[in-house]
Amino acid sequence: MVNPGEKVKVRVKINGVEYEENVSPRKLLVHFLRDLGFTGTKVGCDTSTCGACTVLLNGKSVKSCTVLAVQADGKEIITIEGIGDGKLHPLQEAFSDNFALQCGFCTPGMIMQAYSLLKENPTPSDEEIKDGMHGNICRCTGYQNIVKAIKEASKVRP
Amino acid sequence: MNYVGKPVKRINDKKFVAGKSQYVDDIQVSALHAGFVRSPYAHARIRSIDFSDALKTKGIVAVFTGKDLNPMLKGGPGPWVTYIDTKDWRYVPRNALAEEPRYVGDPVAIVLGIDRYSVADAIDKVNVDYEELPAVTKMEDALSEKVLVYKELGTNVGYRKNFTSGNIEEAFKGADKVIPVEAFNTRLIPSPMEPRGIVARYEGGSLTVWYSTQIPHFAREEFSKDFGIPSSRIRVIMPDVGGAFGSKAHFTSEDLAVVASSIKLGRAVRWTATRSEEMISSNARHNSFKGEVAVKNDGTLVGIRGDLLIDLGAYLTYTEGLQPAIIPLMVPGPYRVKNIHITSTAVYTNTPPITMYRGASRPEATFIIERIMSTVADELHMDDLELREKNLVRADEMPYKNPFGLTYDTGDYLSFMREAKEKLKYQEMKRWAEEERRKGRLVGIGTAFYLEISAFGPWEYGEVRVDEMGGVTVITGGTPHGQGTDTGIAQVVAEELQVDISKINVVWGDTQVVASGMGTYGSRTISIAGSAVKIASSQVLEKMKRVAARMLKADVEEVSYSSGEFTHRDGRKVSWDDVAREAYAGKDPGLYSSVTLEGDVTFPYGLHLAVVEIEDTGIAKVKEYRACDDIGKVINPALAEAQIHGGAMQGVGQALYEEAKIDENGQLGVSYAEYFVPTMVESPTYVSYFAENPFQSKYATGTKGVGEAALIVGPAAIVRAIEDAVGKRFNKTPIPPEEIYKAMLDRKS
Amino acid sequence: MYPSEFGYFKPSTLKEALDFLEKEDARPLAGGQSLIPMLKLRVISSKFLVDLNGLSSLSYVKDEGDKVRIGSMTKHADLVKGNVKESIPLLYDAARQVGDFQVRNMGTIGGSISNADPAADYPSVLTALDAKVILDSNHAKREVDAKDFFKGPFNPDIRKGEIVSEVVFPKLSGYTTKYVKVVRRAGDYAMVSLAMALKVKDGKVEDLRLAYSGVSDTPYRAREAEKLLVGKEISEENVREVAEMASSAVNPPSDVRGSSWYRREVMKVITMKALGGQP
Repeated sequence: MVNPGEKVKVRVKINGVEYEENVSPRKLLVHFLRDLGFTGTKVGCDTSTCGACTVLLNGKSVKSCTVLAVQADGKEIITIEGIGDGKLHPLQEAFSDNFALQCGFCTPGMIMQAYSLLKENPTPSDEEIKDGMHGNICRCTGYQNIVKAIKEASKVRP
Repeated sequence: MNYVGKPVKRINDKKFVAGKSQYVDDIQVSALHAGFVRSPYAHARIRSIDFSDALKTKGIVAVFTGKDLNPMLKGGPGPWVTYIDTKDWRYVPRNALAEEPRYVGDPVAIVLGIDRYSVADAIDKVNVDYEELPAVTKMEDALSEKVLVYKELGTNVGYRKNFTSGNIEEAFKGADKVIPVEAFNTRLIPSPMEPRGIVARYEGGSLTVWYSTQIPHFAREEFSKDFGIPSSRIRVIMPDVGGAFGSKAHFTSEDLAVVASSIKLGRAVRWTATRSEEMISSNARHNSFKGEVAVKNDGTLVGIRGDLLIDLGAYLTYTEGLQPAIIPLMVPGPYRVKNIHITSTAVYTNTPPITMYRGASRPEATFIIERIMSTVADELHMDDLELREKNLVRADEMPYKNPFGLTYDTGDYLSFMREAKEKLKYQEMKRWAEEERRKGRLVGIGTAFYLEISAFGPWEYGEVRVDEMGGVTVITGGTPHGQGTDTGIAQVVAEELQVDISKINVVWGDTQVVASGMGTYGSRTISIAGSAVKIASSQVLEKMKRVAARMLKADVEEVSYSSGEFTHRDGRKVSWDDVAREAYAGKDPGLYSSVTLEGDVTFPYGLHLAVVEIEDTGIAKVKEYRACDDIGKVINPALAEAQIHGGAMQGVGQALYEEAKIDENGQLGVSYAEYFVPTMVESPTYVSYFAENPFQSKYATGTKGVGEAALIVGPAAIVRAIEDAVGKRFNKTPIPPEEIYKAMLDRKS
Repeated sequence: MYPSEFGYFKPSTLKEALDFLEKEDARPLAGGQSLIPMLKLRVISSKFLVDLNGLSSLSYVKDEGDKVRIGSMTKHADLVKGNVKESIPLLYDAARQVGDFQVRNMGTIGGSISNADPAADYPSVLTALDAKVILDSNHAKREVDAKDFFKGPFNPDIRKGEIVSEVVFPKLSGYTTKYVKVVRRAGDYAMVSLAMALKVKDGKVEDLRLAYSGVSDTPYRAREAEKLLVGKEISEENVREVAEMASSAVNPPSDVRGSSWYRREVMKVITMKALGGQP
């Protein structure tokens, strides 16, 4: 137990590397990640709507603005910086190939959510993509090219 | 080495998809965090502010109020004088912090601390003693002048002007029919995905500002003017910017307070807006047109008259002055109507300030004139497009001087309309919709035509450098922030220089690197900034030819250039890289050219078509959105289409989902739970075509611009589709499901 | 965006959790998908959060033949994946529409119902299915009928020291169920939602249940309207009557999603459509 104002030790694996930090229980996972330099994960809203902060927590996509850093204790996190394995992930390639980004701010969250979606449904239809991705808002692209990119990536077997 | 006209991949994507992008909040600078105490009242006077408890909060460094920071200002942001005539305006420049807050959310104190959480704690502990003042939150009420937003102005009217051409009285007297029209755009929130942010570092008399802006050079000028720092000692850096749509050509109180605090403390200060703060920083649209049109029975439009009323919000922002002055000029659109009288009035209200937003004034003008055309078509029982064709300016009248003196440069609207009708399958779609409706499906088809004014001057800067290794650095005064115009510019340069595009790096957005610049807005970048670097490229190439001639011991006339090789008539060759190296070895060294290109507006146009389907609940969905545009020469069709997609989505938002609601106390709904930015589920299928034989602009690139087109015309097309589906007139965006449902009920009974 | 300070306790047994909740000014943290946004907005505060995510014993779906017991820490995503689709299809249909994909990966059924949001998805489902909510404290176990559990907006029948440990759904057989959610935009709270269960035998309605979210302070079960159809064949006219009666008995709120009048109209439309009628 920690009292208000005290810090708590959090041990997490981020993109395969162990981190141990003392954090205030109120600190949101997204700020924890960003303060560690994982600034690919963005903050786009304050109502858990936009999905720009999407990361994988023990393999499941979550909105890291709606998770406390302390809740990640003992868990594994994958961020946009961690999916490429030294080169671009097929989803990252597909986003670029299909003009599926403009300002790029929503892109990391979009890709992380698409990654999660494809893990659960490797061959989604357009409707299934829309249903699985509506927790991520893009203001630039109008979405069609994003759907295209996800479909294309779903055909690549890494 | 053909790049122009090809769907070349975006050249700077890698960092964005890999999570290595650097928006202002991603930049690692050791800085204090700023947060703001905001007025809970739409209008109030501050009796006192007690921040002693706030200062005791762990991690808090300082709290400043208007009394501390406002005296540091030597001016304050007013209208953008490049485009707005201050003589037409009554306004009070904005302060760093309000001493008489004028909208709910107006910042009254800045709290500075070592982290965001402590700052939020301290904000809660600042006690402000307010004396609530009467407020006016509706623009219609502001006109009555019963409550004044600015006592010192003596009026709420910031701007009023008559726009008159031809003989309006005669036109109406001679008309077969006079038809009333109304067009209303409710308040929107541009809401780019990256909330605005700023880091200011003042040290030793120099100010560095990392700023989520689309106009870094104007920002330098503004900060210099406001704080009396020589502009040469100010560096404004635009990092990656996560969308702007016009809303980041805007200097907020918060920005000024951050800069002022940095100067006062001699430390770097950072502010990143939360989404709610972003939503309250910049609102958009909010205007109404009420009037009537005079027509002949054959569909000829002979006169338009009416009143345009525009909400300014509580302050005259840098850009909002554009709307009341440009909307009337563009009301005639692509049509030949000559007799027009519009009184344009803009009023202050105790609501969040309004800025330009994608299209800025052309969406409003287009909505007005296209509502007029559709309404007239209904009243005269004519086909929508037949009526428009009747009134379109003819090819032999081009260049056409519109009633307010704008010169439409190039185009053949009528032939284009015919081409577009075919491409969009207008007739088939109409028949399809009628058939589906007979089967019981509530579907509708709507079209609208637009004429856009774009590619604003007065000038833009472009520079091309070829270094000793043959690498090409392009420096532009344009400020791409998502559009992909960096790629477009690289294509233009690669084609001009006949080099591989991978040799090219495009640089922008740093006032210490870019000699001068205006920025990216008004669909201008590929035209004016692209043309500037195109010309600069050709100048550099000329010099390279001279160097090559020297190397080949020949006259320059004897040397030709193609695809990386300079070739003498006799067949001897020197390569691009060798010439580049030689250019820094011999006499008259260096390969650079900079061009400050003057330019003037051009006029793209297009026809868009929306397909909607309505559920029994009244909930409408845009199923398909088709566009056909003549945007001049197309540099990169994939990027151009992407602009159509994005603009259309925002058009769908404006037409059906987005409404910035302000309650009776002046409180704006400031979250995505109240303001419905569309998601993937609401997105239609888009089909985009560009004219087969486009009419080019006078710009060297031949382009006209496409950044705003779909949001300019989209709402009018979608509203028309809803009308087609339910058979009732709608004059307002957005149309909430409730209104559609009511119309469906009316029709049933 | 930045919550106030709070303390934190992560118990490893239910008993520890309950002891702590009884003694301290503390709130349980389940999936946090409603709690954390409210903490960020600083509209609620708590001295401590008791993180229940270590209590794996509260995450389960147990099919006992005539009923299904669901542990309160079961995530929405788990309800979508298991055999809930067969055993309680109405719950499945609602679960797959809660929030969005990411929210469903974190959010739990117990957390959601403990928030008692009148526009949320589960309250109407629980009410339609006559589910029972099991509450644990260190002194007793309580069983509360869904209709009594949701006392008011954001006001569930949870006493100091208690947490929701389980929801028990009676299994319906021979029913057709539908969950209809009307939203202004995907992922948003329901403007109106309907949880319907219908049993027809020999062409006649044997049982009908209609429960709505978003139209009242608590989930609204249209019991009078339900009765109208019992023993009858479904027809265009009586479906309309049911819809009229169901919608006229409530006074829905007006907000950015729709006015009171419109919500009532939407209730009518979706009720008629759910019962196979034409609005």
